[in-house]
This record gives sequence, structure tokens and C-alpha cells, in this order.
Amino acid sequence: MRHGKSSLLAVAVSIGLAASACSSTKHTSDNGNGNGSGNGSSSSTSSASGSTGSNSAPKTYKQGGTLTISNEQGQTWPCAFNPFNASNNVEANGFIYEPLVYVNTLQNAKETPMLASSYQWNADKTQITFTIRDGAKWSDGQPLTADDVAYTFQLMKQTPATDLYTLWSGAGLTDVKASGNQVTLTFKQNAQVYFYQFANLVTIVPKHIWSTGDAAAHPDTWTNANPVGSGPYTVKCTPNNIEYKANPNYWQPGKPYVTTVEYPAYLDNQPANQDLASGKAQWGSQFITGIKSFYLNKSQDNHTWSPPVLNVALVPNLDPSHKATSQLGVRQALAYAIDKAKVSAVGEDGQQPPANQSGVVTPTFDKYNDAAAIAAAGYDKQDLDKAKAALAGAGYSPSNPLNLTVISVQGYTDWDASIAVIKDELKAIGINLTESSLTMQTYDDKLYKGDYDLAYVGQPAGGPTPYYELREWLHSANTAPIGQSASAGNFERYQNKDVDQLLDGYATASDADQLGIIKQVEGYMIKDVPIIPVTESVDWFQYNTKDFGGWPTADNPYAQPAAFNFPDNEQVLLNVYSKSAQ
Amino acid sequence: MTILISPPVDPAALPVRVRKRGGGIWRSFLSNRKANIGFGLFFLLLVMSVFPSLFTGVDDPTAPARYMPRLPPSGDHWLGTTSLGQDTWALFIYGARQPMIIAVVAGGLATVISVLVGVSAAYLGGIADDVLSFITNVVLVIPTFPLVIVLSAYAGHPTLTVMIAVLVVTGWSYGANQMRVQALSLRNRDFLESARVRGERRLYIIVCEMLPTMVSLIIANFLGAALYSVLNAAGLQFLGLGDPNSTGWGTMLYWADSQGALENGAEWWAISPALGIAALGVAFALMNYAFDEISNPALRPVRRQRGKKFAGRFRPASSVAGSAVSASGAAGGE
Amino acid sequence: MRYLLRRVGFFLLTLWAALTLNFFLPHFMPGSPINALRAQSKGRIPDAQLEQILTSFGFKPHQNMAGQYLDYLGNMVTGKWGVSLGSSLGQPVSKLIGTALPWTLGLVGVTTVLAFLLGTLIGTVAAWRRGGVVDSVLPSVFVVTSSLPYFVVGLFLVLFLAIDHTWLPTSGNYDNSIVPGFSPGFVGSVVQHAALPALTLLITSIGCWVLTMRNNMITTLAEDYIRMGRAKGLSDRRVMYNYAARNAFLPNLSGFAMSIGFVLTGAILVEKIFNYPGLGYQLYNAVNSIDYPMMQTLFMLFTVAVLGALLVCDLVTVWLDPRTRAKG
Repeated sequence: MRHGKSSLLAVAVSIGLAASACSSTKHTSDNGNGNGSGNGSSSSTSSASGSTGSNSAPKTYKQGGTLTISNEQGQTWPCAFNPFNASNNVEANGFIYEPLVYVNTLQNAKETPMLASSYQWNADKTQITFTIRDGAKWSDGQPLTADDVAYTFQLMKQTPATDLYTLWSGAGLTDVKASGNQVTLTFKQNAQVYFYQFANLVTIVPKHIWSTGDAAAHPDTWTNANPVGSGPYTVKCTPNNIEYKANPNYWQPGKPYVTTVEYPAYLDNQPANQDLASGKAQWGSQFITGIKSFYLNKSQDNHTWSPPVLNVALVPNLDPSHKATSQLGVRQALAYAIDKAKVSAVGEDGQQPPANQSGVVTPTFDKYNDAAAIAAAGYDKQDLDKAKAALAGAGYSPSNPLNLTVISVQGYTDWDASIAVIKDELKAIGINLTESSLTMQTYDDKLYKGDYDLAYVGQPAGGPTPYYELREWLHSANTAPIGQSASAGNFERYQNKDVDQLLDGYATASDADQLGIIKQVEGYMIKDVPIIPVTESVDWFQYNTKDFGGWPTADNPYAQPAAFNFPDNEQVLLNVYSKSAQ
Repeated sequence: MTILISPPVDPAALPVRVRKRGGGIWRSFLSNRKANIGFGLFFLLLVMSVFPSLFTGVDDPTAPARYMPRLPPSGDHWLGTTSLGQDTWALFIYGARQPMIIAVVAGGLATVISVLVGVSAAYLGGIADDVLSFITNVVLVIPTFPLVIVLSAYAGHPTLTVMIAVLVVTGWSYGANQMRVQALSLRNRDFLESARVRGERRLYIIVCEMLPTMVSLIIANFLGAALYSVLNAAGLQFLGLGDPNSTGWGTMLYWADSQGALENGAEWWAISPALGIAALGVAFALMNYAFDEISNPALRPVRRQRGKKFAGRFRPASSVAGSAVSASGAAGGE
Repeated sequence: MRYLLRRVGFFLLTLWAALTLNFFLPHFMPGSPINALRAQSKGRIPDAQLEQILTSFGFKPHQNMAGQYLDYLGNMVTGKWGVSLGSSLGQPVSKLIGTALPWTLGLVGVTTVLAFLLGTLIGTVAAWRRGGVVDSVLPSVFVVTSSLPYFVVGLFLVLFLAIDHTWLPTSGNYDNSIVPGFSPGFVGSVVQHAALPALTLLITSIGCWVLTMRNNMITTLAEDYIRMGRAKGLSDRRVMYNYAARNAFLPNLSGFAMSIGFVLTGAILVEKIFNYPGLGYQLYNAVNSIDYPMMQTLFMLFTVAVLGALLVCDLVTVWLDPRTRAKG
């Protein structure tokens, strides 16, 4: 049945092709090997087996080939490429627009200069000067200058809705100046922790386009259907498919290697996964249930590597008004009783690894993780005896059971399954868990306002070190009294001055000290159990090596691999090459 | 503004069942083959939903990881196991209860409202009629299913009660319209006139004189509303707007769909609840249609008699509206 | 004439009531479009900023409801439907609907009309040949098919036609690798992709037309004027179509108008099942992302479609059945 589905597509495509043979049916990419249907029949012999090409010294490749991305969007493409439109800038950033510096979360915030060839902080890190790359051009041929960069940041000041990362209103940006090939950003205070945002997430737009007409009048709502950017690709779009073509004016000569990238609009996971399994699409970025039988076993060229980036946690309400969950004993019992490996295996199909009580995502941030401390506290494995003891200390037992409700989001079936496993495990120690599955809106409302006992929560965003996520979870500035919105991440209402102090000291500390600070914070995670990390959410990634090499791998994690992750996607696009074009 | 949606028929031509206490309807029901099949199916599902333990030894069907995931059907697991390591057959058996409750409760409540609104509109007449019919018609023309989606999203936590409430709110209007049309045709009949002359109270006249003559329409209506509720509830749950912890067939199908049951070798996880919902729907539809045949003898199947082409056709035909409306009511529920 | 005026009056009044409901229901839903945007921006943007972004697209979280309501009524009438606040943030609603409408009309519209015509014809024939083979089997069959949920039919079609026999695609509206245009390959791809959803709709909806028409026809055939027509020596065919079917058709017609609403329901489920990018799919998305402008406009269009169909049906009835003219 399974292989049936993939051949279904083959048949469908071949019928389409047969019909077009005698007519003028145009296909989006009619160039030689890869017209999207190359699942077996065409393409050169798979002699190119050396798939680890990019691991060693930088090597150059010939241009050519068509790569298809398969990532479910749940809608057809709006064909809008405004990098300031938070809803669809994923299709523009990385492909068309580029940041100043790329910061790799997976390699300890390793930096790759992009539009800025270098930068210089002043002593107290309140001022940063970027030197803009010589020879970079916009796709319409005009040169990219420091003026463009300064204009981009000015635009955010003039139209606050374009200041997505609140640099002017939140990070304390006070001034932007361009002189010669340099741009200087001035901040009110030490701005090192915002570097990830302003250098890596902000993408630069051309002044000559954005300072005239509709773009200048409404830069926040402008559609930008025909974008002019500096990135490796230009774009042609229909609601069903975005076609990216290599930008001939790109500043890195000979790149990108892949000349055409197809990004079809998938309305659902299922067809997206089918195209991946059949090899019709080669770059996947979503969850595949039963990935082994459905995808990996279909072809030896199919691979997956989904690096974990954030925690999914059982979040107790620490406010004293919640009698049970505000007791340390109850939280310890929860942490001891949950078999994270089983939750990961059953609830998440083994594709999201079990998490650490330290709150540090491993193996991504292995360097920071204090495994010894976790083991010393006994949180490295399920321990029902310790759980029962801790619970007894809080006054509950199987004969006097504790009833708790956990809120989760409607439609997140992996969470439902995970909670079902947790529920089963907690029953053994005398906790009756009920799941309350809420619509996203109601869930958020309850979570932010603290109207719950337990919540199953995925922290939405982190940064290039564990500091970012831990700060979101734990800093008291990110919380609010019960009834008020704590949308910044400290949903459990944890308040600890020592932890605040540690986190506040991080920004100005040296690298070595920063490591120490994070380890100290981990100590509080283990001691106070403010949250119970259960699994680690990952960056979904599947890739096919039949015709394409140069993918990021566990051995060479040069970028976060999911196609929707900008600006990491650009790094992948600059490394992937077509084997048949060589 | 009087008749909007109902077929343009002369109310005087509508059927009036001569009031007969006792089991006339029931007897005809028993002798109708479609009714028998429908009722048999319904009864089987009813037993399943009340006594699931008669059919399976598993008592906690939703508990995860009790068995190996994705086992093929075997002696131990008749329909195999799910991706989460549950017994599919047990899930299927336990899944009968919720749709059954939804059908009976939501169908019943919707019918009650239909009768109340329809009959009062017809009996009270005047402005009351105008207002009630207007409300009925507004609810009738607003696309139901989108409304159901919005309402259930609005309710936040999709419990069974919420689901039933939503289905009732959106499901009563069709029946109310029918009730009104039929009640209108009754209003000036002699037996009501005489009751009025006797000085009976309005409530008495409506409850004790009018309603008994409308029994067959009310039953048909209930069956249609029950069918509507089953289908819409399953649709909602399939879209993920139900309670994922419940054990109904719609929810089961939703899980199967989201876990890729068809692609991952757990086909029965999807097929069995689909068959269950279909069976329950068919049971109601067959009984409903049988009711049409009972209340309108012209519709009964005739024996195939060549020579006599018109056999059975010249019997006094009673109803146009009753049958037409309830037949489309049945299908309209989707 | 008075009758028609009343009808138009009712049309407007109902439209107003429905529009009002359409406005207030979504606005009383908990939450706001912010959630969808937060998810789309992978949580990288603070909530206050998300609200600001939405505000620049016309989201008015803090304006009073009365003012918004009046604006809304005006905008609906004048066709200023605004821009999407949901997953297609910033796209004009009219453009989004324009993209989706042809697909829904092509799939759902064509299928519905087909089911209606085919069903009516089968019903007529079945009733005419009362007691024949067709008539003894068909009613039961159609009772069963008309009580099946869309997704059950869809599921089995996928199982039997698409997977095991690998005939037909189960997702999307055309093969993405083909450039749209009036080429045989494209048209073929469109037809291929529409086959399964169309079949699903046809199977579930045809039964009701058959049964209704059959029942009406049987009742009509017992009328005196039919007997008279036959006594006059008219041909069977003439009696069947001109006398019986014409009258039996009337209730079916108003049923058809009513069914437009149900068709839209079907559109949502069928389009969701087969990932068909039509209006139903858009409505589902709009509700999920609390996209007020999109939801309101789609609701309005759906209501107008149903009401419009009823109005047209009234006119046709007046034309076909002179008696209604007198009734008023």
C-alpha cells in the first residue's frame, strides 16, 4: 500500500507528461534531469556516492539542477515577498534577502560574514560598526552600499510595524549612521545579546526600491510581488508554486550551485511527505509519522537529521494559589515519575529526543549541559520510588491521590499522545492526570494568564546558546502576576532574584564566565524544578542524496536545516549542489 | 413571508393522521423491511455502546503502549494495533457510545425545539408567527457547517456537552419549518375547532389535540435530526474540533488520519470507525425512509406486476410535503 | 407583484440578520489573529509587535464594536472587503477569493448541478417504472449512499481507487510541475485531480435528489389530471415529462436552492480531505487563524449564495406554477 502511493504519483506525473508530449503543456522546470518527476526513471546513474563532499575543504561545484522543497504550508502561496511581513517573509528571507552576519545556533553561535565583511564593537558594547562588503549587488544590478543598510534600519524607526524584533523600542537602538562603506548602530546599553537579532535576523532591503512609491508609503503592508534582493535567488510565483532561479548578480561567484529551486505549496503534511518518499521532492522540513517505513526504507538515498533546538516541557503553575503544583515535592514527583524516553518513543515516534531537567538542549548545546548534576539529583532516569517519596512528602499517595489537569493545544496529536503516556505513568504513583485540549486561542489565554495547574508547553523561540531559552523560562521580568499576560516565556511564574542576577550578568560576561553562569542556572532548574522538560522539539529535516550533495549533517551542522528557518536556509542553499550537473 | 423554504404545497392537502391511540405506527414499522434492517443495525450498535465489555476484554482502550504498535490483524488483535500501541478493535467497540449519545440527545433536543417553535408559530399566528418564522429562516439560510465550526471554536474546550449544544442550536430550524407547515394545515380542522368551542386551554389543545396527530412527522424528524447530528459531529471531530481524549469514532478517525494510519500499516484504525459511522448513519436513514413509506402508503414498494402498470398508484395519495421534506431532510444533514 | 416585493423584502431582512450574526460571532470568539502570526513567525517576534503589525493591516483590537459593526456593514455592501489578517496576511480578500472561487465553482458547482439533474432524472424514471427492477433496488441503495459522511466516502475512494490501483491523485488541484494554461496537459491534470473529490460529492448528494423526485413523482402520478392526460390518449412520454415531472419537479427545485448551503458545507469537508484550494478550504483556514475579514466575507458570500438561489427558485416557481402568483 505504501509503495502504491508513491507510484501513484509516478503514474499521475507520467500521464501528465504523456499528454504533454504532443502538446504545449509547459512544465515549471524543463531542464534536463530534474523536472520534479525524476523518481527513478531519468537522471544519470547514481555513481556519485561520495555524499559527504562539503565536510572537508571548501570545494566548488558546477551550477545546475533543480531542487524541490517539500514543506507543508497549509495554504497556497500569497506570492508576497515583503521581508517585513512576519506572515510570509519566510519565503523571501534567505532566498532573496540576506542578513549582515549569519549566526549558527548549532555550532556555538559560529559567525559567517554575509553582507557585512566584518564588524567592530566599542569597549562597552553599546556601539557596533559594520563594514559592508564590496562588490555586493542587488538583483537589478545596482550596487549594495552602506546606505542601503542604514536605510533598512531607519525604515524600522519610521514605521514601527516593520521593526519586527523591536530594536528601536525594545533593544535600545538610538541611532544608525552610514559613512563610506561603514554603518554604525548605537544603543542605549550593552547590546551584545541583541546581536543575534539585528545582525542575523534582520535582512537588508534596497534603498532605491524602498524609498519610492508604495514601498516607501507603506513598507509594512507592501506586497512586493517582484522583489529585488541581494540573495542567491530571484523569484517567479504562482499560487501553487514558487520557483527560485539562481541570481546571476549574486556576490559569491559561481554560487548558488543549484540553478532552480521549486517550492510547491503543500496544503497538508500527507502529500508533502509522499513527494519526499518518492524522491519527487528532496528537501523536507516537517514531521513524518513512521518515518522509518514511510521514508527512510523507501530509498537508501533518503536521510533524516533533525537537530533538537528547544524544550517541550510540562509546566507547573508555581503561584501559591495553586496548592499542589506550587509544592516542590509534587514537581519533583512529576520529574521523577515521567519516563521521558518512553514519551519520546511513543508520543513523538522517537523523532523528538527526551529532554534534560537542566533545561539545556542536547546534543545541540552539549558543552553547556551539566549531566553530572542531573545524575546526582536522580533525574537522569525514571524513578518511581523517589517519585512516590517526594509525593508523600507533599501529602499525597495512591490512597490519597492528587488530581491534576494539564492543558494542551487542540490538534497537536503528538502532544496528546505524549500526555497519554505521562498520564499512564503518573497513575502508578497516585496522580490522576486529565488532559484538557483547548483551541489555540483559549490555550494561550490560559497559559499567559496563569489559569492552569499544569500546561504542556513548547517554548517557541530561543537563540544560539541555552541562555536565550533559559532566560525566557526563568527570568522574573518575563512573568506577570496571575491574571496578567506573561507572554514572554516565564509561564510558570518562577521568581528567583539569584537567577535573575545570574541571567542579567550574562550579557557582559566573558565567554568562559557565560558557561559558568549557565551551569549555575541549571543548578536552579534541578533544585527548584520550575519546569519539567519532557522532550526536545527539533528542526525537521529530511534530505535526498541521489542527485544532491552538500547537505548539513550531524557531522557538519553548518546551519539549522529546516527550509523555513531563515537565515539558515541561505547557508543550505549555498552549499547544496547537483551531482548530475558535475 | 409565510412559506419560504417549504415546497409550495396546499396546506389543506397535507396528511392528517386520524387519531388512533395505540400501535398502528409501530405495527407497520415492524412489518417494513427497511425499518427492520435499520432498526436491527441500530439495536446492535446500541448494545455495543451500552455494554462494550461484551465484545472486548480490553477495559482501557485508549491507554497507550499496551501492545506493540502497528501490528497486523491477528487472533489477539482482530483489527491489529494502532501506532500508539492500542488495540484497534477495542477502540472501535468503545467508540460506539459517543456517537450514539450525540445522535439520541442532540437529535432529540433539536426535535423538541423544532416542535415547540414550529407548532407555536403555526398556532399563535400573527406577529408571533412572523417573528418565529423569521428566526427559523435566518438560521436555515446561514450555512450551517461553518457556523458549527465557529461555535465550537468559540466554546474553547470541546466537551461532549458543547458539541451537542452546537448541533442542537444549528439543527432545529429545518424541522421547525416542517412542523409549522403541517401544524398550519391542522389549525382549522374540525376537531381543533370543537376543542376550542369546548373552551379548552391553548396549551391543552396544542399538547393533547395537535401533537398526537403529528407523531409520524415528529418521529421522522427525530430520525433526520439524529442523522444530521451524527454526520456533523463526526465531521467536526474529523477536522480536529472534538475532544481528542474522547473515544468516539470521529475522534478515532481523526487520530488515524493525523498519525498516517493508511500509509503506515494501521489501515483498520481508519477503516473501522468509518464503517461504524456509516452504519449508524445508514440505520437512521433506513428507519427514516421506512417512516416515509409508512406515513405515505403510495411510496411503499409494490410487487412487480407487469400487466398492471398502475397498481398501487391510485390509492389516495396523502402527502407530498411530508415525504419530500423528510427525505431531503435526511440527506440535508451532511 | 406584491408577492415578489415581499420576497425581496425578506431577502434583504434575512441578509441583514445573517450579516449581523456573521460579524458578531467571529468577534466573540476568544483570541485574536495574533496567534496565527506568532506561529508563522516561529515565535521570534514579541506579542506587542505582532499586534502592531496586524494593526497596520487594519486589525482594530481596541476600537468599539458598534463602530466596527457599522464600518463592516458599509464595507460588505460596497465590496471593500479589506485584507487578510490570517495566514495570507496583507493579501486583499477579494484577490484570495478570486483565486479560490473558480476551483470551488468548477468542482462543487458542477458536481452539484450534475447530481441534481442526474438524480432528478433517475427519480423520475424510477417512479414512472414503479415496481420495476430499478425501483425495487434503487431506493435502498440511495438511502444508504445519502447517509454516508463525506470523509467516509472519500476514505474508501482513496483506498480503492487511489492507493490500491494507483489511478488518481488524492491531493491538490493540479500537478504543480505544470505551468497553468489552456494546454491539454494542464486540463488533463485538473480533471484528474478533481475526479476523486467530485465522485465523493456525487455519491453523497445524488441519493437525496433521486428519492425526493421519486416520492414527489409517485404522489403526482396519482393526481386526477394525470389520469385525464392518459384518458385523452397522450403518449406516455408526454404525460411523464409534461404533466407529472413538471409538477413533481417544483418541490425538488426549492430543495435544490436550499441545498446550496449544504453544498458549501460539503465543500469545506471535501476540500479539506482532498486538499483542494477552494473557498471551503479557505474558510477552514480563516476560522483557524481568526482571520476576521476573510471569515466575514466568506460567510457573507455563502449567505448571499443561499438567499440568491432561493430568490431565483421563487421566480422560477412563479413561472412554472401559476397558482403561486395568486397566493401572495
